Amino acid sequence: MRRVLVVEDSVSARAYVRAVLESPEFSAAYVPCEVVEAHSGFDAMRLLPRGPYDLIVTDINMADINGLELAHFIRNSERHRTTPLVIISTLRGELDVERGMALGADAYLAKPFTREELSETCGRLLLLTAGVVEHRSDPPAGGP
Amino acid sequence: MAESGGGRGDGGDKARDEFLSEAQELVDGLGRDLLHLEEGLKRGRLDAELINDIFRAVHTLKGLSGLFGATRMAGLSHELEDVLDDLRLGRIELTSAVLDLLFQAVALYARILASEGGNGVDPAVEVEQLLVALGQFSQRRAGSAAGVVSQYELDPGLLGVLTEYEEHRLRTNIQQGQGLYRIRVRFSLATIDSALDDLKAKARPHGEIITYLPTGTGADIDTIELEILIASRASVEVLRGAITGSDVRIDEVRRRTGSSGPPDLRVSLQPATVAQPIVPPAGEDPSLPPHEAAKVPTQGPPPPGPPSLLPSLPLPGGAGPVLGPPEMSLRSVSQTVRVDIRKLDRLMTVVGELAIVRTAISNLTDLVRRRGIDGRELAIELARLNRTFDRHLSQMQSGILEVRMVPLGQAFDKLARVVRQISREHGKEVNLVVTGAETEIDKLIVEELSDPLMHMIRNAIDHGTEPREERRAVGKPPVGTIALNAFQKGNQVVIEVEDDGRGMDPVVLLEAAVRRGVVTREEAKELAPHEVLALVFRAGFTTKKVATDLSGRGVGLDVAKTNIGKIGGVVDITSEVGIGTKMTITLPITLAIINVLLVEIGARLFAVPLASVKEAIALDESQVRTVDSREVLTVRGASLPICRLARLFGIRGHARERQRAFVVVAEAGTRSLGFVVDELVGQQDIVIKALGKSLKSVRGFAGATELGDQRVALVIDVAALIEEVLLPAETRFLASAAEGARN
Amino acid sequence: MVALVRARERRAVRRAGEAGRRVEYLAFVLAGETYAVQIAHIAEILRPPPITEVPRAPATMLGVTSVRGKLVTVISLRRRLALPEAAVDRRSRILLADLGKGEQLGLLVDEVQQVWRLAPEEMEAASVLGGEQPAHLAGIGRPSGADGTVLILLELRPILESP
Repeated sequence: MRRVLVVEDSVSARAYVRAVLESPEFSAAYVPCEVVEAHSGFDAMRLLPRGPYDLIVTDINMADINGLELAHFIRNSERHRTTPLVIISTLRGELDVERGMALGADAYLAKPFTREELSETCGRLLLLTAGVVEHRSDPPAGGP
Repeated sequence: MAESGGGRGDGGDKARDEFLSEAQELVDGLGRDLLHLEEGLKRGRLDAELINDIFRAVHTLKGLSGLFGATRMAGLSHELEDVLDDLRLGRIELTSAVLDLLFQAVALYARILASEGGNGVDPAVEVEQLLVALGQFSQRRAGSAAGVVSQYELDPGLLGVLTEYEEHRLRTNIQQGQGLYRIRVRFSLATIDSALDDLKAKARPHGEIITYLPTGTGADIDTIELEILIASRASVEVLRGAITGSDVRIDEVRRRTGSSGPPDLRVSLQPATVAQPIVPPAGEDPSLPPHEAAKVPTQGPPPPGPPSLLPSLPLPGGAGPVLGPPEMSLRSVSQTVRVDIRKLDRLMTVVGELAIVRTAISNLTDLVRRRGIDGRELAIELARLNRTFDRHLSQMQSGILEVRMVPLGQAFDKLARVVRQISREHGKEVNLVVTGAETEIDKLIVEELSDPLMHMIRNAIDHGTEPREERRAVGKPPVGTIALNAFQKGNQVVIEVEDDGRGMDPVVLLEAAVRRGVVTREEAKELAPHEVLALVFRAGFTTKKVATDLSGRGVGLDVAKTNIGKIGGVVDITSEVGIGTKMTITLPITLAIINVLLVEIGARLFAVPLASVKEAIALDESQVRTVDSREVLTVRGASLPICRLARLFGIRGHARERQRAFVVVAEAGTRSLGFVVDELVGQQDIVIKALGKSLKSVRGFAGATELGDQRVALVIDVAALIEEVLLPAETRFLASAAEGARN
Repeated sequence: MVALVRARERRAVRRAGEAGRRVEYLAFVLAGETYAVQIAHIAEILRPPPITEVPRAPATMLGVTSVRGKLVTVISLRRRLALPEAAVDRRSRILLADLGKGEQLGLLVDEVQQVWRLAPEEMEAASVLGGEQPAHLAGIGRPSGADGTVLILLELRPILESP
């Protein structure tokens, strides 16, 4: 069971990401996941020591500590220096994405993203870090 | 692999409910913020933080609606976000035209949410029109160089962790000559939320916080050190004095070059002050007729779209009076309540107490089984446990009721927006003054109240408030005032809607009522003045010769009265010509549990809500007179009409031979009626449940309650019975009195 | 062994096929006649709890009662079908009728009998009785192999929708 930390200040956006990542479809196509929710940058910093996490997904535009600052913090921490990191931006936030990638994020998603985009981005990163080199793009034979 | 949308099934439905709930909150907050923004603008202040909050709210709404497939909302949010982004990054200016579009957007959001929740039609056309208007404002201009920032001794990596918005704020502040300071604080991660709020509160009066940077490696899992960048005109000494704490260090960020002091400011950017009463909304300069206002030239972007967008949208048919958008309900889409977690903690404590009682009972049962504890001892123990249990159960009941309570301000907030919209539609300037917004009442009641209050306010503005010139002519201030007052009175909550307009003339009202067929000319003659005023609550009533929007169509006040009645409330009205009108709503605080007086009528039990009971007295038949086929009891020298419920309900038979009966004196608004019952049984808290639709036609009962061992007692609807019994009688009584006087 | 299993399977399949065409009706007695309603519409069968009369309610409404904390309006089927009155005895039952949307209503009957699974050929439409029949009459049921038992099939919706 992989642990994913989702940092996002919107309740329903978190619920949505959880629903996608913890779904049987995601589990079948990639790996089973357990989502841990953080509602702010500070909340994330409280939860990080309780890791390790196999993937961190964070929104950029949050109040107080924004996602970029959190990314910076994560990449400077011993524990999560190499944890796969996905940043979420607005559609016109190219500058923010640039900075995020420069800080060491592995991938980005722009809102609004589809279920497929979310699944693929996260699933791919989760599998890669597990040492599974090729990722599955087809459902296993005889699947739903 | 089966294709399914965003988390279908149980998880998906729950997520969607959360979406509607969160979206509702965001839209409500948006409305409030816009009003605050407008208020600030009128005082010449542009609140950057508010604009950013509004931007973030729309941004979140966009993300949400995209995720949940609410395409209409997503599309609207997308355009809106662009305009707001341009606004907050200083690319376009906030003019009244733009502000109007923002208000329209909020109204449309509410309607979209309602249609998503299954209530109302998708406002596709209006959204399209608004999108077109918004599109004309959005500008894309390259951001200016970051050169200004590099003049300061800031960590070169700083820019790399600032979002575009934060960078813009930093630049703007520097350009305006604010000083930059670095606040280093250490927080305990457990308490950081409240500690940070404290710090923000202390810092806000002195400047704008740009960003928070976590320093350190996070190796220590209990504390975190933050570096807070703040822009301020104050000196470092002032800041150090204001923001105190053992782990706080404040330093100035020096400029690299030896430059001169800050240039003069043209605009001061102060964050808004906290929590004021609902801001008075107002339209454009009222000396211009509404549709002209759009053409007033503003600096910056080209004038907005066709005037038909402001202030109201024309009917698709084209002809006829200009109407506002179709009347929508102010009801929330979601049924959720935000709860103070302390209320829940208290409830959990009571649950703990109940668990203890449960253990005691279990032990007792054991004892009985093992030792055969004697009857008397057992009875004493059980009685003690019963009392304890009862006490805790009551606490739990109150606790849960408290959770359902929300401040009336929730409904009042939405009304402020409505007031703004209505006053623009009618070209009248109106001030909304609110007191008692913190008065709490059951959430369901608040929901039911929103629409009736809206109708009453609409009536007060449309009919009640005179146009500017007329007001000036009689020496009134040009801006009308609508006062919304709420306060608790014992077991009830009173809400007053008062205007300082032209008041209601009973003569004019009566004429209109007769003309509209609401009363016949004969009936009209018998009405007392306060009853004439109450005619406005009858269906089909309007004093306008031509229907102007919904105020004139006889829809509104009658529905308002019915809805208020449904939640157990009553409406009264008083008015003085030339001075104003006041409508008073009296409501029970909570729907669910009420305190009742149990009475026996013909061996059956009924419940009378104590909130409506003034007193209960023994019936002295010798003091009963019959006046024109109505029985009247003399009580302390005054006349009280009475009603023998056994007769009214057609209940025969008595429990035992009756020597005496009792009179429960009930009140509804200004009227009293004595209900004659066989026996007073006692006072009790009951949970009132609604009667099914199948019994809709039966008058006089507000619901029923289970009394234990499956017995059910019907709860009497005092207001309905009083109206049923007294209304026709009053007419006849007055008629015969008038008749008597004439002879 | 294999043959036995296969034969069982075949029988099960056939039974399932038959069951698919049949509708289950709950039979009860009212004023000496046997009626039946689709059991799918009956949520529960209870012994009559105390029923509280509602003054000034339509005559067909006996009153309200509490079923596990929920208020349920009880209708007298006798009055609704214009049958003579009778006292409630220990065999009387209340059928909780639930059509999915709207209220659950309680129907007072004299005695509950059994559930019949009627195939289409065992049911006759109400029109066979000639002329205009009231909306609540769905038809006549004659379960086979039940020595002449005749069920008057009732349509619940009209009964529940008007007093």
